[in-house]
Amino acid sequence: MLYRVIDRQELPALVEAFMEDYEVIAPVESGASYAFEKVDSFDQIKLDYTTTITSCKKYVLPPRETLFKFDAENNEVTDFTVKVTPRVIFGAHACDINALNSLDMVFQDNRYRDPYYEARRNATMVIGISCTPTDSCFCHLMEADEARTGYDLFLQDIGDRYLVSIGSVTAANVLESACNPREATDEDRIAFRQATRKRQESFSKDIPDVQEIAMLMDAFHSDPFWEELGSRCLACTACSSVCPTCYCFDIADRLEPDGKSGRRERVWDACTSPQFAMVTGGHNFRDSNRNRVRHRMYHKLNGFLATHDRMLCTGCGRCVRACKAHISPIEVLKFFEEKGA
Amino acid sequence: MSAQNTLHGKRPCVVIIGLASCFGCQLQITNMEPYLLDVLDQIELVHWQLASSDPLPDDFDIAVVEGAVTTKEAAETLRRVRRRASVVMAIGACATTAGIPGIVAPEFQDHVSAVYGDAVPDAAGSLVSPVPVSAVVPVDWEVRCCPIEGADFVAALQRFIGGSNRLSPTSTLCGECKRNERGCFYGRGVLCMGLVTRSGCGARCPSLGRACNGCAGVSPDANVAAARRMAQEAGIDGARFDSALQLFNSVGECCA
Repeated sequence: MLYRVIDRQELPALVEAFMEDYEVIAPVESGASYAFEKVDSFDQIKLDYTTTITSCKKYVLPPRETLFKFDAENNEVTDFTVKVTPRVIFGAHACDINALNSLDMVFQDNRYRDPYYEARRNATMVIGISCTPTDSCFCHLMEADEARTGYDLFLQDIGDRYLVSIGSVTAANVLESACNPREATDEDRIAFRQATRKRQESFSKDIPDVQEIAMLMDAFHSDPFWEELGSRCLACTACSSVCPTCYCFDIADRLEPDGKSGRRERVWDACTSPQFAMVTGGHNFRDSNRNRVRHRMYHKLNGFLATHDRMLCTGCGRCVRACKAHISPIEVLKFFEEKGA
Repeated sequence: MSAQNTLHGKRPCVVIIGLASCFGCQLQITNMEPYLLDVLDQIELVHWQLASSDPLPDDFDIAVVEGAVTTKEAAETLRRVRRRASVVMAIGACATTAGIPGIVAPEFQDHVSAVYGDAVPDAAGSLVSPVPVSAVVPVDWEVRCCPIEGADFVAALQRFIGGSNRLSPTSTLCGECKRNERGCFYGRGVLCMGLVTRSGCGARCPSLGRACNGCAGVSPDANVAAARRMAQEAGIDGARFDSALQLFNSVGECCA
């Protein structure tokens, strides 16, 4: 990995340089919180944002996308071009970059490469930025507090300057042309170490580290805990709407008002939706909130680990904030911490 | 609710009937101006109560019903319609949950007396406690909300012309709302019925800065007891939650 240092005052020039050739997406204020949105100037960007309501996942896997258009009268596909806008996501936290890396494993799996996802992902540059954990962050417990791959640049705040990790030639060229990147000095490296320490020490001590969580979940699959957790679930699917790694989708045809043509759409789905596991004939394989909530937690903290050697949860804390019923991986960690005590 | 009926591409004869309602959902159909001719092209509209005083014809395929059932006469009309129609579609909150007319249901006789005294005029018909269309006859499909969204009505017509196995969603609204990224009313101590209301509208009101008032109806999969507790945690009195729930859900199990 190549590292360079730039001054804080150079950031606007960097963003403006990206704006010349790309649509720039960045965290902006949205009510009392933040959201990733298209920005037109550096001033709109809130780089010290805590977290966003949903993640930048929406730019590689949109909540609703047209897979193809069809002629309903002649039963023919008429258009299946993926509309791709070259983008730069500026200011992604490490958890979200790790989330994109997990999505890559799913949608760029060689057995079933997803051309829609792939076209967007390949046209998207990711500029990461370091952050300070909030009280609902637990990325360090999910090994997602550092992004090792999956970004074009990563900006580590070290005071009045940034230590920039360079992940791609394209981004390096933009950095070179817009700023005056210099070699990192020992002083910079010490500042980086201190910043990292500070972040590591800022995580809430109330969220327990349960290293054997996956194994424990297998052992306590029928524990009454799941019934209690499910009894609170509102079946609203907010957890999955805000999750940076939920990748389940539904596909449905939608006719135009004239009934002559239509489009096949992919829309986000959620395993906490009551109808998610319902099949033809009406049987529902997960017919209770208990089973649905438990299934979701297993996929995040157990199942993906078995198949991809990493937790699907990145500890970003969005579902912790979004769930009115206080159902979250933190609750699961706390339960198993007590169970093993 | 059966979604199996399909007319296999046949251009269906459609009647649109209004029961106790403000006729706003019928107006929503006319409001689809850019598409109205395209929509009418797919059907044979043989009767539209909003636009004609002619009596209901004898033959039709799809009966679109707006409004709640509030009289014995309306119930009889519905039963007659059900015998003739292949498809009965209820549109709008009044037809699907008893909606605004349903507010009087819990103390029906008291409300009737308060308005009419001892003598209900003949013109009012034989009043009964309001119920949704589905409480009187089997309904093949429901288009929800107050008022309906025109596109949902067209999609409902199309599902019976061409066939569709798509289900009406039963998840509640917050998931759709989060996608709009406008923050949550409960963080500001504002009551919002999205916690228990059926999704499908795209959380339009919250996206425009107004809390959900529950016009799509309480979802059969809603967790009303848990939602009430959560509202209380956010500093909202349980009685206020119950009262807000009654606006569109006075009739039915959730408020019993």
